[in-house]
Amino acid sequence: MLELDAVTAGYDQRAPVLRDITLSVAPGESVGLLGPSGCGKSTLARVAALLHRPDGGRVVIDGERAGGWRHRAPRAQRTAFGVVFQQPRLSADPRLRLADLVAEPLRANGRSGEVTDTVRELTERVGLGPELLGRRPHEVSDGQLQRACLARALVLRPRWLVCDEMTAMLDASTTAALVAVVEEYRRESGAGLLAVGHDRVLLERWCDRTVHWSELAA
Amino acid sequence: MAELTWKSTGDRRRSTRAWRVRGSAVTVAVIVLAVLLVPPLVQLDEQAVDLAAKLRQPSLAHPFGTDDVGRDLLLRCVYGLRVSLLVGVVAAVVATVIGTAVGAAAAASGGWFDRVVMRVVDLFSSVPHLLLGIFIVAMFSPGVWPVVVSVGLTHWLSTARIVRSEVLSLRSRPYVDAAISGGASRLRVAVRHLLPGVLPQAGLAAVLMVPHAIWHESALSFLGLGLPTHQASLGTLVQSSRGPLLAGDWWPTLFPGLCMVIATLAIAGLAGAWRERLNPRRRSELML
Amino acid sequence: MSTSTAVSTSTPLPVLSVRGLSVRFRMRGEKYVRAVSDAHFDLAAGECLALVGESGCGKSVLASALLGLLPGNAETSGSALLGDLDLMTADEQTLARTVRGRRIGLVPQSPAAHLTPVRTVRSQLEETVRELTGVPKPRSRKAAEAAAARAAFPADHLDRHPHELSGGLAQRAATALALIGDAPLLLADEPTTGLDRDLVERTVDELKRHTGEFRALLMITHDLAAAERIADRIAVMYAGRIVEHTDARAFFGAPGPRHPYARGLLDALPEREFTPIPGMPPELGDLPTGCAFAPRCDRATAACDVLPRLDAGVACHHALEAQRA
Repeated sequence: MLELDAVTAGYDQRAPVLRDITLSVAPGESVGLLGPSGCGKSTLARVAALLHRPDGGRVVIDGERAGGWRHRAPRAQRTAFGVVFQQPRLSADPRLRLADLVAEPLRANGRSGEVTDTVRELTERVGLGPELLGRRPHEVSDGQLQRACLARALVLRPRWLVCDEMTAMLDASTTAALVAVVEEYRRESGAGLLAVGHDRVLLERWCDRTVHWSELAA
Repeated sequence: MAELTWKSTGDRRRSTRAWRVRGSAVTVAVIVLAVLLVPPLVQLDEQAVDLAAKLRQPSLAHPFGTDDVGRDLLLRCVYGLRVSLLVGVVAAVVATVIGTAVGAAAAASGGWFDRVVMRVVDLFSSVPHLLLGIFIVAMFSPGVWPVVVSVGLTHWLSTARIVRSEVLSLRSRPYVDAAISGGASRLRVAVRHLLPGVLPQAGLAAVLMVPHAIWHESALSFLGLGLPTHQASLGTLVQSSRGPLLAGDWWPTLFPGLCMVIATLAIAGLAGAWRERLNPRRRSELML
Repeated sequence: MSTSTAVSTSTPLPVLSVRGLSVRFRMRGEKYVRAVSDAHFDLAAGECLALVGESGCGKSVLASALLGLLPGNAETSGSALLGDLDLMTADEQTLARTVRGRRIGLVPQSPAAHLTPVRTVRSQLEETVRELTGVPKPRSRKAAEAAAARAAFPADHLDRHPHELSGGLAQRAATALALIGDAPLLLADEPTTGLDRDLVERTVDELKRHTGEFRALLMITHDLAAAERIADRIAVMYAGRIVEHTDARAFFGAPGPRHPYARGLLDALPEREFTPIPGMPPELGDLPTGCAFAPRCDRATAACDVLPRLDAGVACHHALEAQRA
């Protein structure tokens, strides 16, 4: 269970972007969070993935209260989340080749030994051919880079996925392909999903249930 | 399919840029080789006074002419460039190291430390740094090292600002978020993602600072506060040419001045090319 | 439904006539990236053509070529006639002084980045009014307010800076700027990226309204829903080539797309099958000699080794024939 309980967060204590938001995702469940741009849903996604410290409220992950945010979060809690963001260009370190991009979380956790096999298996799954793995982000298209970013999010086999407007920049076919990869992973791992977006048709097709921001902020 | 006829767009702009870079590279190479090789190879005494040949116009024997005590100005210029470049490079390195350390520390720790450090930077920036430099050299006897210290200590401020804002901007990128979520430690994020992003900027700032530092050395020497007059540097050469210039002898001023301008343009040209390479732009050039 | 909808030259003189336009980029080692290959289309006044395709298919390059904004390593071939001016051979001065803003109005991809961040919307509108229409300073204030009103930009927001605007208002400000020159051709490059669905609909509806009777609209987008909403005709681009060019109603409606790629693209929509096209598009630097889609296509045969020509609106040896009989 991923529980966000009365979360208030923002970038300025005096003017929080979101106030008193409560939302929970059951294990294995996929929840689509719909809302207009600028409403604060991305901030909520970052709070849920322990990447932004809220000003109030609490986050409970599988019954365990979040111990901190960003680097202060225990590594086991941080790595329980796989995150994918809207803009692949900003989500990829421009100096890393795609293979290293995907392998980075393994190396950061001292699991370099698994890199070769895991990277091969995952990049194949997201549809990246071996000829692309040696390239740097500026040498591939948005769609290809987002595929690599999704592979990176899955590499530690997280129990929770947080996708913040993952497909907003992508065409219909790449969108369908990435959603299919996410769903396949969830089927075999039982991971839960919080998908944030503004495309009602997409989220209703993708997720078990969708919540509109206005229902949460009420 | 029939062969198409292709028309280029913007070709001219591209080739002039390429030529500018090549020209700068060749000039910098010539300058560096000259200051490194000429003194040990030529074995001439740049201080050799020849009162019989004072203030000679440029000629084959003395391409840059001679000064008011008959010293060969070409040789003096090479020695002057040597000293000026040494001062410029060392001062730039000193300033960059201090600036990078301060800027990175401020950005990394944030909070009150960041605020205090940046206010100090603002404070020092509000004093003209030539004035500050004069104050520092005035505490020592004239020589190369006081000038290096003076220029180095007054020029790290802008680097600190650049590095700090660069670290702050990199730290808020989603790829740092992704690294944290992937379990990366603070150290790993700093070493693997932040440092490689900042170092090229800091390096570029250092290169751009070399000509700046050369001009500062010259300014201090020109004011008589930098190097002792007998030691050839571009600044002391221009300074000691004031007398002859008033008498209508132009060459002792022109050639050291030209050396300074050419060295500056060449280094800046190379730095410009580097700046363009810093950001991988091939993709945006294709606009895909 | 006729099949000749693709070549709609019924109207007297097209606003824009693109003939055999190709763009390639010269890379290191005498290699070339072929971003646009042999594009043909006409665009008449009152008409809206949507150029759709996935990112990296070359559609933005085509837009930049029309505006003369290609980078230095680009080479072009073919022509693009805007009235009697060939945009491919026009020099930079002509493009800057008489084309951009005056004969082609550009509605940009990210309005927030297109507007100058440090100046108010009013000052940017006024400057553009003075620059493009020669209205002197005293009267430019009124003209700027009129321009804002035309794009339904609220007058009480005129003194705000771009960062103080919502996405929708920033888009309207950019549209107001694009409309000032009263250009006969509007070029919208991904005008809806990152906007909410309601805002997408409002933005494209407004674009359609501004097109009216006398302008032509070329909308470049990967958003098929936006294209469906306002386009009269659809051109589908794949690997730098227009592979299908047809009437929008036929494309989205009953007969449906005839090129297997276009069909796959539509089927990938969440409101339809939501199934991706297998594989990925080829590298534009390494295109096959035959049909570029063949490796991903379930209808491919040996015939596909030969490049299919655009014939009756579709470039495919095995176009879906159902509705032709």
